[in-house]
Amino acid sequence: MPQFLSNKRLIILLVSIIILVALIGFSIREREKLTWPEQFIKDTTGWVQSALSRPANYVAGFFENVKDLQNTYEENKELKARLDELVQLEVDVQTLAKENKELREILDNKEDLSAFDPVQAIVVGRNPERWHELLVINKGKQDGIQQNMAVITANGLIGKVKSISQFTSTIQLLSANDPTNRISAKIIGETETYGTIEGYDEERKLLKLKRLPYDAKIEKDQIVTTSGLGGVFPKDLPVGKVVEVVPDEFGLNQTAYIEPGADFYDIRHVMVVTVKTNTPDLSDISSEEEEEL
Amino acid sequence: MKKLLLPVFILFFFILESLFVELFSPQLFNSDRIIVPHFLLVVLLFLTVYGGKKQGIIHAAIFGLLFDIVYTEVIGIYFFLYPLIAYFVSKTMQLIHNHLVVVALTSMVGIILLELGVYELNFLLKVTEMEFQTFLQERLYPTLLLNLAFTILVSFPLKRQFEKYAEELRNE
Repeated sequence: MPQFLSNKRLIILLVSIIILVALIGFSIREREKLTWPEQFIKDTTGWVQSALSRPANYVAGFFENVKDLQNTYEENKELKARLDELVQLEVDVQTLAKENKELREILDNKEDLSAFDPVQAIVVGRNPERWHELLVINKGKQDGIQQNMAVITANGLIGKVKSISQFTSTIQLLSANDPTNRISAKIIGETETYGTIEGYDEERKLLKLKRLPYDAKIEKDQIVTTSGLGGVFPKDLPVGKVVEVVPDEFGLNQTAYIEPGADFYDIRHVMVVTVKTNTPDLSDISSEEEEEL
Repeated sequence: MKKLLLPVFILFFFILESLFVELFSPQLFNSDRIIVPHFLLVVLLFLTVYGGKKQGIIHAAIFGLLFDIVYTEVIGIYFFLYPLIAYFVSKTMQLIHNHLVVVALTSMVGIILLELGVYELNFLLKVTEMEFQTFLQERLYPTLLLNLAFTILVSFPLKRQFEKYAEELRNE
């Protein structure tokens, strides 16, 4: 049997382990932005990916359309029934929007936490190894995308922008197991209950909404949206529905399990959400605090 | 196969992995198991065995680094593990007869090593909290099945292409 590792190879192995540890240490910390070689490589592969993923998505879309045709009749019936309600709803929305605008003018309050500009983007790649739930989209810094922006689909919040390069950016999904990924959210009911979304139950495919007050009365099927309190995400982006509420390990808080509205797998088109409002000046906040004291 | 075409050929499999998880979601197979394509590794290992050890390890390092930068954003794990497994496979091939079936099975061993290595590293880095039993059942076995199917499909054409490539290298 030949010698498996000669002295020279052993040295190479040890040196590469040192390099490995150094590289991991360099890249795993919270980074403000990627280095330029990384950005360059990401943009180049992103271009190739979008060239290949479009025809692939087109073919996949064709088969989905054929599948959809099967239940067209049933769906049509149901949609027609909903259409009657829609007219009434539209009128309501218009009156409410007008009223809201007028009231805002009276209050002289132009800023609105729920206002946002969406940037449409197409998903061109997904991390195949599934440990880090990351997506690559075809819009980057040049399109006005910044780190930590919220990303939604038509059905609700799916994640945030993790890193950007010039023409592509990477999205971290809510299903990723990252303790630094916290989103302020609220449960809508008669009173609003605030908590933070932390973590994902991989076995049950449910999000965990933690730090809810212990005396809050939360029922099943209540709707969860973002609260806009973090200052990063706008208000009222839909997240999902409550499935179950359990007391947390110390009994001081409650944790709600939430079924996400968006599908974390079948994602083709996403919207990156940018908050319109300016973040308040730090001086304003500190002066208020002093007054209270 | 032309010398310049080889990186393009491997790049195609690199992107195929991402396309695969994008288009074939696990719900399509009605299961919650995690199925990970390792097409790139299979191709790299076949290159190592049939196209030449040096070529194989160099390509494994380059595409490992590319994989880290583009997909995982944690640089180092695949950059380190791909060449290591390629080296291991080439060493094993010196000991046993490199029949096509043996090479295919050795690639499976390579995938197991990669999955285990990445799992342990991610566990250390607290990227995952999955338990080992769950990892085996939910992730490793279905992943192996998928990649075995892929290997059976492509092993013969890959062998022929890479042998031609090695021939060209020798003639130069």
